[in-house]
Amino acid sequence: MSPTAPPVSRSAIDRLGSIGVPTKRDEAWRYAPHRKLAELVFGPSQGSIDELGFDLDERLPSLDGPRIVIVNGVVDQERSSFITGAVAGAGVSLTPLAGASSDLVATQFERAGDDVTDAYLALNLAYSTDGVVIEIADGVRPEVPIHVVTVVVPGSTAAATNMWCSAVSIHVGTGSSATVVETRLGDGDDVGGSSALTSVHLGDDATFEHVVVQDLRATQVHLGRVEVTLGERSTLRTRSFNLGASYGRLEYHIELAGEGAVADMSGLFSGVGEQTLDQQITVVHLAKNGTSRQSFRGVLDDASVGVFNGGIDVCPGADGTDAEQSNDNLLLSNRAEVNTQPRLEILADEVACKHGATVGQLDDTALYYLRSRGIAADDARRLLIRGFADQVVDDVGIDAVRSWISHRLGHDDD
Amino acid sequence: MLHVENLTAAIGDKQILKGLDLDVGAGEVHAIMGPNGSGKSTFAHALAGRDGYEIGGTVTLDGADLLEMTPEARAAAGVFLGFQYPVEIPGVNNMYFLRTALNSVRRARGETEIGARDFLAVAKDAMALVEMKQDFLDRAVNAGFSGGEKKRNEILQMAVMQPRLAILDETDSGLDIDALRIIAGGVNALRSPERSMIVITHYQRLLDYIKPDFVHVLVDGRIVQSGDYTLALHLEDHGYADFVNTDLNDAPERPLAGAPSSR
Repeated sequence: MSPTAPPVSRSAIDRLGSIGVPTKRDEAWRYAPHRKLAELVFGPSQGSIDELGFDLDERLPSLDGPRIVIVNGVVDQERSSFITGAVAGAGVSLTPLAGASSDLVATQFERAGDDVTDAYLALNLAYSTDGVVIEIADGVRPEVPIHVVTVVVPGSTAAATNMWCSAVSIHVGTGSSATVVETRLGDGDDVGGSSALTSVHLGDDATFEHVVVQDLRATQVHLGRVEVTLGERSTLRTRSFNLGASYGRLEYHIELAGEGAVADMSGLFSGVGEQTLDQQITVVHLAKNGTSRQSFRGVLDDASVGVFNGGIDVCPGADGTDAEQSNDNLLLSNRAEVNTQPRLEILADEVACKHGATVGQLDDTALYYLRSRGIAADDARRLLIRGFADQVVDDVGIDAVRSWISHRLGHDDD
Repeated sequence: MLHVENLTAAIGDKQILKGLDLDVGAGEVHAIMGPNGSGKSTFAHALAGRDGYEIGGTVTLDGADLLEMTPEARAAAGVFLGFQYPVEIPGVNNMYFLRTALNSVRRARGETEIGARDFLAVAKDAMALVEMKQDFLDRAVNAGFSGGEKKRNEILQMAVMQPRLAILDETDSGLDIDALRIIAGGVNALRSPERSMIVITHYQRLLDYIKPDFVHVLVDGRIVQSGDYTLALHLEDHGYADFVNTDLNDAPERPLAGAPSSR
């Protein structure tokens, strides 16, 4: 497969030299495993693999609606259903990124040099030659979610440490409403992983729900970045579930560009073993009367590490901003660790800005209360952990995704 | 049915229960009254099995040694503690919690578990007892409940669990008169010849609604006086001052500076 790299990719490669690779001294990359990242090989995507080590359907939430499967950075036509029309509704267009017009790609992925904040973003821009472009025409409200699945199998067709890059471009038209679920999986025992960039534009009065479920193998690395620009009075809901990978990173860069926009973000990171699960959130209020909510929860067992680095930037002129941020963490082991940091920069007037973080262990009194009702100690523990996590899981609007996550977390009913 | 002999409880160096004796027969309601800090709540938690106490003495329920059991095993044996401060458990649905509790106990007793539909019928009866609406069950356990709602939820749980021995710890604290009436109504409806109750309270007021068969005065970790309902009336008139002054072996000979001389 010889991908025809869009022009933006070339400029991204050109930039690499000047940007440099982030180090521990960069706040946003402080907890990243730099030695491991340095061993990763970013390269051109190499297409489909015939045999996955698992049944894809069994590993995915079963959603109605179109499904696009990207295997090792390339859209897998056979595993995808680009059904639009009857299923997704008229005015819904799904196009493989590789076949998309370079104008469209440029609109979504071209950016000024200053906006390419680090080498890993530049590498994604350089090598994500395929992916999907989702366009929802003005006033269109498809009822079914669109499912984008990214599967990587490092070592199958390239180096064991290969990082596969892909990109998703989403345009939600004026007054439209849509839901996109991105499930990101890995297979095999190799240490590579995936880099996924999602770029979203919400038109005025649009409503958009975006769910990311990151569940790569525990040996792998995932670098995910979601960028959203919100038009006037548009509403964004992001739900992230950072569950897999040895280093699972989910970055959000949200810009409330239109007046009265609403960004409602929640996320769960649930780590075991020696996982590091890193949330890097920046919400930029550019226009008046915007509302943003960040509510992230961490559940960290064994020697896992959670990171929440949450920023709220209220720019000059973004008067009347109402922004809140919370990060609550449950440490289940005395070797587990969480690093939580708010970053607030407020340069406007009449701004309400709240933030709070908690780190706690399972409440002994609550455990005792449950046990006094006959619930065995282990069950009581599970019930409390589930109750803590469910406050994020319940935010997801799609039943099938909720139950998939509950199952993945071992929170199913008996 | 419940036999408590020379029960002691300490946290670190602090001895709280200092040799408590009590026998509660089947179907009896015993009130335990006492001033703040006398050990009332510690007694309740010692029966329910809370961690953190050094416990001595003997407690048996129907001959079985309670002190050897985990809190969940005690629940399966029929012990229920209505908490003075019911615990908020955000994210855990009240209905799910109740059914999990009931089925855990049923499993432990070797009984079949109860399905969701049958459980709903059980829950509805229990709700009627404490005048609760359906939406109570759909909310998270005690989360955002008012003081009265939390206490009603305790009695609701008791109605679902149908315990052998119910211990109600300061169930009246923080209740207005209407809530008190509802809760007492629920408790009275659950009185039965097979069920014993220990009602712990600071004030006599609750006992106007739940008439005990026996009243015990707990002071400084021991029961210093036992009697019938009229003992509660005496306490209402005279307070605990008599007992505190005469029964504290280690009481100071002179009042401490600044201490009130009487109630």
